[in-house]
Amino acid sequence: MNNEYAISVNNVGKTYRSRDGQSNTVLKGLDFHVKPGQFVSIVGQSGSGKTTLLKTISGLQEPTEGEILVKGRPIRDGIEDIAMVFQSPVLLPWRNNLDNVLLPLEFRGTRTDESRRYAQELLEMVGLGGKAKRYSYELSGGMQQRVAICRALVSHPELLLMDEPFGALDAMTRDSMNFEIQRIWQATGCSVLFVTHSISEAVWLGDRVVVVGDRPGRIIADISIELPRPRGKEHRFSTAFSDYVSEIESHIGVLTGIS
Amino acid sequence: MASPEISDIGDVGSDGLRRSSPEAALGEPSAPRPKRFSRDSVAAGAKAVAGIVGLFVVWQLLVSILAPPEYLFVGPVSAFAELIERPEYFASNTLVTLQEALAGFALGTALGVLCGAALHYSTTVRSFLYPALIAIDTIPKVALAPLFIVWFGFGFESKAFVAMAIAFFPLVINTYDGLSSVPHELQELARINKASPWKKMTKIDFIYAVPSIFSGAKISISLAVGGAVVGEFIAGSKGLGYVVLLANSQVDLPSMFAAFIVLAAIALALFFIVDFAGRKLAPWKSHAK
Ligand SMILES: Nc1ncnc2c1ncn2[C@@H]1O[C@H](COP(=O)(O)OP(=O)(O)OP(=O)(O)O)[C@@H](O)[C@H]1O
Ligand SMILES: [Mg+2]
Repeated sequence: MNNEYAISVNNVGKTYRSRDGQSNTVLKGLDFHVKPGQFVSIVGQSGSGKTTLLKTISGLQEPTEGEILVKGRPIRDGIEDIAMVFQSPVLLPWRNNLDNVLLPLEFRGTRTDESRRYAQELLEMVGLGGKAKRYSYELSGGMQQRVAICRALVSHPELLLMDEPFGALDAMTRDSMNFEIQRIWQATGCSVLFVTHSISEAVWLGDRVVVVGDRPGRIIADISIELPRPRGKEHRFSTAFSDYVSEIESHIGVLTGIS
Repeated sequence: MASPEISDIGDVGSDGLRRSSPEAALGEPSAPRPKRFSRDSVAAGAKAVAGIVGLFVVWQLLVSILAPPEYLFVGPVSAFAELIERPEYFASNTLVTLQEALAGFALGTALGVLCGAALHYSTTVRSFLYPALIAIDTIPKVALAPLFIVWFGFGFESKAFVAMAIAFFPLVINTYDGLSSVPHELQELARINKASPWKKMTKIDFIYAVPSIFSGAKISISLAVGGAVVGEFIAGSKGLGYVVLLANSQVDLPSMFAAFIVLAAIALALFFIVDFAGRKLAPWKSHAK
């Protein structure tokens, strides 16, 4: 297949089989490609299979159909540069923030003296340089999630998977996190798959918004967002922005019969 | 809430316990451990001591008022008098029981943690061993004591093994529970980063399970003391269980009650030592949300 894609999802399907023999097809015929450095937002109904898709791409689960290539290679070959951010930060309470950020490197056995400095830099980048020696219970939810983002970035991933990373945050914190993630993404140049329930967040952040329909999960729309970068607050109120939002709403709405 | 100024002046006679730990004085609040002797824990300790003293007072009052015959019931005063009269007798027998209980507890803990880990990490072990363990757990461990005496003789070993058999199960269950409650995100984080099973166990699983393992150990430590005593009941010539038995045959109730008091005291002390160790090893637990 084509090597110039960061990710190729080729006709991927995923069917769960329960113990009583019933099968539940969660994803079917998914086909999309992500260029290196692209920011792809994924939206869709709850239960449409977005988390399943991310887990399949990260290699945590195997697709039952089709294949997924990361930089042209099947994921099983041990790709080293995928990182994931979950909805909850799940930091280790017995480690300070700096050591939490370093955890992936310890898992990989690649932690060096240099990595300590890099982890500190990452914390500074998200405005938590002064909290390196603090513990997660001393941080707010938004701060904890920023530490979790640093933990994902510390291994220099080329592909960052984020599964509703700001879903548990209040609207104000969420806005500032959006700015932050745009900045981080532009600074690191990694490709991002960003799952969210917020359509405006998806539009504001994404180069593309992929809409996943449910039962079974499949792509029902793939919309390029042609807004200039870096994006600021003003883009939220532009007509182009609200046109994108209503277009995506209509795709999701059609599915549920709400529209 | 009482205002700090008031409670600062004259509460608990905390002789020698400085309220603010040196770390706090240095303004270094980053470590996730509670202050060593916080006002709360001093107050809690004082209440606990008051409760125990109160119990003794009520007990003695009851005995003084109702005046039961000495072959039926005695008060703490007679019991303590007995302790003071024969300190070596009680000390040497306490030491015997303590050693049996601690050996049994250590063995039971080691085996229990191993078994709990095996149950968690191996589906094969789990499907074969779990039902069997639950079945064995329903046997009253006291009923195993005669068997252990047949196997291991009348000495130290048989009592330690009875203690072990009783101390074992809470640790199996709690280790297994603790390991199973590691959040799935952390498992996924380990897998995405290709952590070896060993790294995952030592950097996440077992540290995560520490508080749960210690809840098991807190139950087990008192059970181990009881186990040792049961062993001594059945075949012993030493230990507090033997003291109780001997006192019983001689209708020497002060001696029997003295043994009860010592037993309760060592069980309590061991419990608090385990509890303290657990807090030291898992200080983050006190900050859990
Ligand atoms: N391990 C599993 N075994 C069986 N079925 C599963 C499993 N994981 C997910 N599913 C099913 O797959 C479907 C999609 O789940 P998934 O978590 O991917 O949805 P989602 O789009 O992420 O939803 P949400 O927006 O609520 O997070 C659901 O119907 C769910 O019940
Ligand atoms: Mg999901």
